[in-house]
Amino acid sequence: MPRIQGLQDLEALRQRLLGSSAKQKQTLVLCCGTGCQASGCGKVLTAFRREIERRGMADQLSIRVTGCHGFCEQGPLAVLEPSGIFYCHLKPEDVPEIVAETVRSGRVVERLLYVDPASGERIQREAAIPFYRRQERILLDQNRRISPTSLDDYLAAGGYTALASVLGERSPEEVIEEIRASGLRGRGGGGFPTGRKWAACRAAPGEPKYVICNADEGDPGAYMDRSLLEGNPFAVIEGMTIGAYAIGARKGYIYVRNEYPLALAHAEKAVRCSEQAGLLGSGILGTDLDFSIRIARGAGAFVAGESTALMAAIEGRVSEPRPKDVHTVEDGLWNRPTNLNNVETWANVPHIINRGAAWFASKGSEHSKGTKIFALTGRVQNTGLVEVPMGTTLRQIVYDIGGGANNGSAVKAVQTGGPSGGCLPVERFDLPVDFETLAEAGSMVGSGGMVVMDERTCMVDVARYFLEFLQDESCGKCVPCRVGIGRMLEIVTAICQGKGEPKHLDLLEELAETVAETSLCALGKTAPNPVISTLRYFRDEYEAHIREKRCPAGVCRALITYRIDPERCTGCGACLKACPHGAVSGEKKELHAIDAETCTRCGICAEVCRFEAVVLE
Amino acid sequence: MLKYITLTLDGAAVRVPEGTTVLDAALEYGVCIPHLCHVPGLTPIGACRLCIVELVENGRGRVTTSCTLAARDGMIILTNTEKIQKLRRNVAELLVAEAPNSKAIQDIAARCGVTEVRYPFHHESCVLCGRCVRVCSEMWQADALGFLGRGRERHVGFPFGTKPDFCKNCNTCIDICPMTITPCAGPMNVGEEYLCGRCASQLSMAENVSDSCVYCELGKGFGCIRQEALP
Repeated sequence: MPRIQGLQDLEALRQRLLGSSAKQKQTLVLCCGTGCQASGCGKVLTAFRREIERRGMADQLSIRVTGCHGFCEQGPLAVLEPSGIFYCHLKPEDVPEIVAETVRSGRVVERLLYVDPASGERIQREAAIPFYRRQERILLDQNRRISPTSLDDYLAAGGYTALASVLGERSPEEVIEEIRASGLRGRGGGGFPTGRKWAACRAAPGEPKYVICNADEGDPGAYMDRSLLEGNPFAVIEGMTIGAYAIGARKGYIYVRNEYPLALAHAEKAVRCSEQAGLLGSGILGTDLDFSIRIARGAGAFVAGESTALMAAIEGRVSEPRPKDVHTVEDGLWNRPTNLNNVETWANVPHIINRGAAWFASKGSEHSKGTKIFALTGRVQNTGLVEVPMGTTLRQIVYDIGGGANNGSAVKAVQTGGPSGGCLPVERFDLPVDFETLAEAGSMVGSGGMVVMDERTCMVDVARYFLEFLQDESCGKCVPCRVGIGRMLEIVTAICQGKGEPKHLDLLEELAETVAETSLCALGKTAPNPVISTLRYFRDEYEAHIREKRCPAGVCRALITYRIDPERCTGCGACLKACPHGAVSGEKKELHAIDAETCTRCGICAEVCRFEAVVLE
Repeated sequence: MLKYITLTLDGAAVRVPEGTTVLDAALEYGVCIPHLCHVPGLTPIGACRLCIVELVENGRGRVTTSCTLAARDGMIILTNTEKIQKLRRNVAELLVAEAPNSKAIQDIAARCGVTEVRYPFHHESCVLCGRCVRVCSEMWQADALGFLGRGRERHVGFPFGTKPDFCKNCNTCIDICPMTITPCAGPMNVGEEYLCGRCASQLSMAENVSDSCVYCELGKGFGCIRQEALP
């Protein structure tokens, strides 16, 4: 791409791109985000390409390969533009039919449409699907409109208008004021007001200054940042460039974890394209703004997402947090003032500049503005990415958008904020999701992971799982985090194994307080949250484990037994064949029995039994 | 010219040169804050968390380590509130349960008021205070030791697992290690451990006169810098 010389040049190019796309034919928008890739969109894409070539329809149908649309449960999925017809669960075999019927003759292939489980109706248009209809998609919507590595697409979709307006007519102070007035808060979990951070970094003495984009998302079940960086890397780069202009930084880093190969590749390509087009580098858009971005690859430590640990990693040291008595905006990367924001925060910046602080502030709750993307996972019907205004209730997210539990059982709790967050019971589902409310309820918004749990989830086991995760992911530097989490895990494991004692609960609470208060970094300070919140809302489950030696959800293996119901057993022998440990005995057509000594409680017998004769106790 | 600043330590205004840490300021004025990973002259890392204090800002106390906190003018520090005592006791309990067979750590635990350990004892040979690592790189510029691994796997070791040529065999790492101080004569046999409390008896004054130095025995084995300053 030739270098864009100035602001007029940019606008002329955009008009040219819009002109060429206006007379476009039909476009098939195929989601190739990581979720859909896992469900096999690659083969579908090849099939479409082949079919178009075979029929010579290149002038009638073009394909746009995009990042994640959000409805990962239904992948691979495609939308036909301009009609808006939505097809899901695509297989390569479906492709000829779609091309022949829908593209050629405009007829809808009924069997590939989305079926609303609530009403049983087939829904034709994407916009009518409840999952999409009830969201307010600002960031995610752009994912659909552009091909992630095409600067042309981004420009045609209105990209870089924000940077142009900033460079053309606003001073850095005005930009910071705009961000401050919008009420944007850090989307990485802390919720610190972005405008205040920028202002502090601008005011901090020291040169050069740095801006960093934190794309080291590591919470189990969370993939918002990944999908944004994969699907729309230019928005992040534009946001960072605006931030650099406002703060006075000349250099930026995008820290991406190496486990996100697609995000890494797209970010690298986008940086390269932007440099060639003169949107990064020296003299951006013909002004005197110099700003370059480098991609730093992380080596997969959860703790590297902590700002000071991340900076240590960029500097080439082991990613361990250091005390933050002096904030990173004054003393950050290479001891210089550094402004670090999360991917989603940066991606919000161009929208705020384009549509104004008042527009952004009109969404959301009193203290938390704008929209937030959540990754809805776990035992929920509509797994995927959900973008809603802050202050939407948990009930709306889990039931209206998520469709409730996925197997007909009842939702018990939702775990928000990843390993540092807490579990909120269904009685608290009317809480609006914003930074303050969730923190008061003992959880946090965090980066936006939401794991839905149903009746088959044991909350003590959940606490154990997160402690195990954190024990492995703690850097091990400070005593409360390294030893304290280990001791909490010892206690919770003992409870899961039926060796719990009543005094354990008090000890657990005291230990949780100590770890939360005395740990060095946010990882340790928030590590007890899963324990504290489950103790607060599901104390009865702990009590059942300790006093009655019973796991109400039937998860903790030491506390459950499988038994064969003599009324129902037909002696078919399915369980006998399936048991990997030889714990089932019995003659053909006669009652079978499970030997409790040999049984490891894997539950395979219960799964294979067609007569529901294997009972869990 | 040295610039001096004034901060409030447990209600008393103290004057120290700018750049002093709160821990150094406190020790200088005889306010004994327990500490393990801190060694005078080495970079503080805030690993042991024993030297926690409350930093009062806008009327609210925030718990932070005093070894990493640079004293600022007008700062209000509380070193021995009930909350701090409890948290410090819990951290010391975690430490002593990890490595009961070190006199230094037993002493610290006793001094922080630990009388009973509620966890099963582990017999670690290292508590990862990082004294050796820092003295090796900062004092001797040798870099022969370092931290390896993460989380549970974290340990101190030589680069690539073998003792490098550039180790100066100075033995400072051993001298400075809290684990090499012979444990007390209390019965700390594996499986029968309990906190013997004999060390604590020597330190029984510690809690009563907490905000002035009690010239405790801690310094002998363990290098409390106050010890060096006194005759």
